[in-house]
Amino acid sequence: MSSAEKQAPGRSNAAAGEPEGVLVPRLQSAAFVLPVTFMVVFFALPVALTAVWSVFERTMFWMEPGFTLFAYENFFTSARLINFLASMYHSFISVVICLILGFPIAVFVRRRIPQVAQHRVVLLFILPFMVSEIIRIFALRPILQRNGLVNETLMNLGLISEPITAILYTPTGVVIGEVLSFLPFVVFSGFLAMEAVPKYIFEVCDDLGAGPYRTFKDVILPLAAPGIFAGSVFIFVNGIGVALLPNTLGGPGAVNAGLIATQAITALDFPLAMAVSAIMMGTLMLLLYIGHRLFNLTHILDPIS
Amino acid sequence: MVDEFGNLWVHRLKWAYLLLIVFSLMSPVFYVMYISFNENGFGAAEYVLTLESYSLIFSDKLMMTALQWTLSLAFCTTVVVVPMSILAAKFYKATRYKVLTVFLLLSPLFVAADIFGAALLVYFKNLNLMFTSVAEATGLSFLSGWFELGFITAWIGLIIYTIPYAFIVVLITMGRYRHEQTEAARACGASGWRAFWDIEFPQIRPGVFSACAFCVILCFNEYTRTSLLKGGFDTFTTVLVSQMLNEGMSNESYAMSSFVSFTAIAVIGSIILYTLIRSESLGQVARAKAEPNMAG
Repeated sequence: MSSAEKQAPGRSNAAAGEPEGVLVPRLQSAAFVLPVTFMVVFFALPVALTAVWSVFERTMFWMEPGFTLFAYENFFTSARLINFLASMYHSFISVVICLILGFPIAVFVRRRIPQVAQHRVVLLFILPFMVSEIIRIFALRPILQRNGLVNETLMNLGLISEPITAILYTPTGVVIGEVLSFLPFVVFSGFLAMEAVPKYIFEVCDDLGAGPYRTFKDVILPLAAPGIFAGSVFIFVNGIGVALLPNTLGGPGAVNAGLIATQAITALDFPLAMAVSAIMMGTLMLLLYIGHRLFNLTHILDPIS
Repeated sequence: MVDEFGNLWVHRLKWAYLLLIVFSLMSPVFYVMYISFNENGFGAAEYVLTLESYSLIFSDKLMMTALQWTLSLAFCTTVVVVPMSILAAKFYKATRYKVLTVFLLLSPLFVAADIFGAALLVYFKNLNLMFTSVAEATGLSFLSGWFELGFITAWIGLIIYTIPYAFIVVLITMGRYRHEQTEAARACGASGWRAFWDIEFPQIRPGVFSACAFCVILCFNEYTRTSLLKGGFDTFTTVLVSQMLNEGMSNESYAMSSFVSFTAIAVIGSIILYTLIRSESLGQVARAKAEPNMAG
């Protein structure tokens, strides 16, 4: 691609010396920059400013400029930190379960299904993802509760005599909810990651007599690592950030960062809500930085570049 | 290919596993649908088929108003997000700062809804205070209230939420388009707009329509950001969640959940069917064109 082409698309018109005025090409160039500008103003800026607002002084109903670390102290020296760490642990379990259940599907689709049909099979996973997350989470209640579908089925099969009560309103319920909510993402990111593994590599491994485990460990995993990591970060961060999951399935003791932030807003403690948001953003940035240093995450973009 | 399908049963088993996972992911939704048609509701010993719960939600004035707001938000978001995604995808193709651009456009996927909703809520409150102060100081009264929590703030929240999805879909579709065609059109004297509309757009149309469908569905489904940023009005999901949290899962809640799910499944199902039919018809055309060459 020439350097002229690498500029904003609208600029090529001006470079071509068309009989348009100066204003039209400039407006065209501005139009192409509009989405990025919009994202800077309404996404990057609010997210970055959470760090600034988190050190503001709390007032009765709002906050005022100042510098205090009270919100952080409030977070790190209370039960909130324990809850946050517990939600991280549960989220990590969800990531592992999602990878175990979902990544083999991505490998299977990429390796065994003809190229023309691969995207159609992946589309099957769009279906559950497009049904509201709220509905899927709330729908788990009648399934997992004492007289729900799971207990009823197990009792009808004679596998249990008493309903299991440890599924709903416990951390187990939260992990089940996270797995059901985010599993499609592992399939999507895994499928994208597997684009980095050419099909002939499997044939080479077969020819050399490498078993499935060795092929997976020494060939698939290193090549697909950026995509796997991105999918894992997505599940991990959403697991500790989506308030609805512990709120609906976790019972009274289950709290994650998202729930702490929304509870702080309800209590009009905006600096605390912003401190939690800043901690979450810091965690995300740190994870992405580590991932980028280890696996060079830009490789994920190769299939769409 | 004999090796790949050497053990047919293992291959079938893998297919069965894949379908089992899809079914497991969908089972809560299917179960809700099943209950929504039962007159006696959840946990009843007797199953009596009825559509009464559905008629109840459509005769509920609060629900119909919420539905109107949801549709308005979905329409306005789609109208903005899809053109923005096309512009962003074209910008991404042309710019040398690809990593930064894609990072900015896809980052909302990695920020949890509650965290981003909270940040945007405080941002809008600050903007509103700033604009009101400027309006008072300068006497420009039209400036006040721009970022007061309401339709516009909820709309911006939804735009940020849906843009990554629409961007990916459009970008993937655009990946199959060959830029030389635009260059040829420009060389023939077509304006930039004409080259896009007559040459490029017909080829990326399936992606654009898919992006529209995704936007509408995502707006219908979104709860967290909307509930934080909406101000005084209610959407379909905020009514649904408040009912479910306050009154538990009533028959009406089951019917509302099923209605939203049916709509999403119908739209996505139509896209899958359309994709299948279109690729089949394109295949037929390609085969028909290839036949004389093969004969020759």
